[in-house]
Amino acid sequence: MGKYLLRRILQMIPVVLGTTLLVYALVFALPGDPVKAMFGDKPINQAVAAQIRAEYNLDKPFIIQYLLFLKNALTLNFGNTFAGQPVIDEIARAFPVTIKLGLMAFVFEALFGVVFGIISGLKKGKWYDAVILIVSLLLISVPTFVTGFLMQYFIGVKWHLLPVTAGNDPGFLDLLMPAMVLGSVSMAYIIRLSRSEISSNISEDYVRTARAKGMTNRSVIVRHVLRNSMIPVITYLGQDLGALMGGAMISETIFNIHGIGFLTYQSILKGESNMVVSIVTLLTLIFVVCNLVVDMLYAVLDPRIRYA
Amino acid sequence: MGIRTSKKTMVAFLATMAVTAGTLAGCGGSGSASKASGGGDNVITVFDSEPQNPLIPGNTNETGGSRPGSQIFAELVSFDSNGKAQNEVAQSITPNSDSTQYSIKLKPGWKFSDGTPVTAQSFTRAWSYVANVKNVQKCASFFSTIKGYDDLQQKGLNGTEQLSGLKVLDDTTFTVDMSKPDSIFPVKVGYMAFAPLPDSFYKDPKAFGDKPVGNGPYKLAEWSHGQEIRLVRNGYYHGNVKPRNQGITFRIYTKVDAAYADVQGGNLDVMDTVPPADTKSFMSDPTVVAYNKPGSIIQMFSIPSNLEHFKSGTEEGTLRRQAVSMSIDRKSIVTKVLNGTGTQPVDFTSPKTPGFSENLKGKENLVYNPSKAKELWEKADAISKDVDPFAISYNADGGNKPIYDAIVNSIKNTLGIKVSADPVPTFQEFRNLVDKRQIKGGFRSGWTPDYPSAEDYLFQCYDSEAGHGNGANDGDYSNSRFDELMTQAYAAPSTDAANVIYGQAQEILLNDLPAIPLYYDNAHGVAMKGVKGFQMDWQNQSVYSELHK
Repeated sequence: MGKYLLRRILQMIPVVLGTTLLVYALVFALPGDPVKAMFGDKPINQAVAAQIRAEYNLDKPFIIQYLLFLKNALTLNFGNTFAGQPVIDEIARAFPVTIKLGLMAFVFEALFGVVFGIISGLKKGKWYDAVILIVSLLLISVPTFVTGFLMQYFIGVKWHLLPVTAGNDPGFLDLLMPAMVLGSVSMAYIIRLSRSEISSNISEDYVRTARAKGMTNRSVIVRHVLRNSMIPVITYLGQDLGALMGGAMISETIFNIHGIGFLTYQSILKGESNMVVSIVTLLTLIFVVCNLVVDMLYAVLDPRIRYA
Repeated sequence: MGIRTSKKTMVAFLATMAVTAGTLAGCGGSGSASKASGGGDNVITVFDSEPQNPLIPGNTNETGGSRPGSQIFAELVSFDSNGKAQNEVAQSITPNSDSTQYSIKLKPGWKFSDGTPVTAQSFTRAWSYVANVKNVQKCASFFSTIKGYDDLQQKGLNGTEQLSGLKVLDDTTFTVDMSKPDSIFPVKVGYMAFAPLPDSFYKDPKAFGDKPVGNGPYKLAEWSHGQEIRLVRNGYYHGNVKPRNQGITFRIYTKVDAAYADVQGGNLDVMDTVPPADTKSFMSDPTVVAYNKPGSIIQMFSIPSNLEHFKSGTEEGTLRRQAVSMSIDRKSIVTKVLNGTGTQPVDFTSPKTPGFSENLKGKENLVYNPSKAKELWEKADAISKDVDPFAISYNADGGNKPIYDAIVNSIKNTLGIKVSADPVPTFQEFRNLVDKRQIKGGFRSGWTPDYPSAEDYLFQCYDSEAGHGNGANDGDYSNSRFDELMTQAYAAPSTDAANVIYGQAQEILLNDLPAIPLYYDNAHGVAMKGVKGFQMDWQNQSVYSELHK
């Protein structure tokens, strides 16, 4: 187990290096000149522009820029944004908000997804199964920005039930609606996933055997059906936690949340490669760690899976 | 029996859900209650985006920073809502006969919000700092007409060198020597880059950019990056502006749509823009107070002066330019595509520009006239045929598609020629193509003035000195008569006299059409119900000091 863990952690190094190089190259390849863009359509003082280029290493070839970034990153110096703010400060400001939002969305989708999935799976064919299925289908097929704008308009603007936007230093209520929007699609997937897992497991031989041995329905469901059905669901949730952190852009812009998704989007537009790469590195780490945790959880759920 | 237990299970699940939701809701209650009220009695919350530069006047060249910056700093002159300059810190700005030297006298008693006095040196040192290339200030070019500017563009400076054209006579008097006549200088000095800076600035410019100290009607109380910029009244200020509120809080938004929803929902007092999706409905939206009047921004598309068959200065080129201009149905574009948030143009500046005239010769070239357009195009065809299909480029990230589709259709239907719209994905990429002169056809252009003067529109966009990468004359238009008028206007004895000459220069443009004016962007915005004093200034920004509840 320990050896396995060590191997997995060592594997992170090439993964992180590879992603940073790739992302840096992508931002570099973006058409347009970030320094020119700083002047908008106003006349550019070329001497000033040249100094800005030198300050941000933009006058050097790609590979030198990347190596300089790496060298500084090793000493935890991620450089400054074009506005003169340290990249690390901006990330430190945006990240807690996104974590809060991501975790709330995660709890929302896991809780409601699994609960509705179980109800649906155990009660296949009932009217509420049909309702749950239809609603989940709707959530999957309607894009999140539509769901977001509709919820914002009705729940926030019209009925004044929840804050319209999250704004600065958002609390639980401020983030409730954005988290619901962010988690809605995944929730729908989880409903469908757990429903189909449960309904197929419930007719398995081992369930019939357990019932024949006289186990109560409750322990059959909880100890056998649910435990087996949750493996794919947990895999999905583990993957999704990383995706929630990086993919919160749509709900962040709709609800005015200054989180990582929005920061990434803006940095790409401005051509701030340092910022984009730093964020992506962080997200890669989160993704890799989430996956590791999921793999460890397998062992807990299914005694047959053991890591040597 | 199986059914009974599982029903119980289900009830249990539902109960857990309800309890969890309840607890979660309960524990976060404190978060938003305090915020909804905005910030107390007579504090106004307004829309802003995160400033892209530190809040140093000479380094602020975009609206996110200039909205709060313009309230923190006061310059020699201020502009009323029509763009007319009035003395603010200046007692008098007196030119010599050919506008090559100015003598500036300050009003006594001005102080920065930290209590230190505003002296002649507060201006001269600040101007030299911005002009000095070592200090990497984005607005350096604004000082290019002051003597000594070129010396401060060299390598190897240490950042403290001063503009040789500035001479301090005493605490409240200084003179400015220009390297060439500049009659517009008394208007230019109202631009934010010309603001005075306190001594504390030079000790630590970086820290200053985070917590600026100015002499404007408001002072910075707190800047929480990415969240809000809170301004309160500056007790030392006694200039032209008479604030009718206790403070202004600039809320930083990720997107205008979110801000609009907040105005509708009663969480934000004022925003000086309207999201494209809401331009159709904001005038009749019962939940907000709307503002929509002609503003200072002009939208056009340029046609490069060397474009085959459209060459400026040739008879064929001029005919074709006029034909294209007259084939655009601006009225339907303004009403149907822009939903009334634009106004049909009659010149190359804007209705908010001092000296603006509705009666310039040649303004009929900007009016939709299908039969005349066809006639001119045929005349041009008689000179030379085989015109390539005409394409107009624009950046697709600014909501321009419907506008350019309408323009292209209008030209196509009127002239019966091949015309296409050619979108470029981002503004950055688009500007890059324009700068490299790689666009073979028309391309979107527009102008947002820095200070209210026709000079800012005309010289920057059409003088040959501003062409070939030295300014914003991206079509490389060059007309010696026009250039001559520009020079004459600079040497005019007053800005009013200069404005007369700018009128003549515009008549040349109306004939040559280096760019085809499309519409003036209206200044438009919304305020929450119950907010009083909502109006917008010459810069399409809300007059913040007038807002009150």
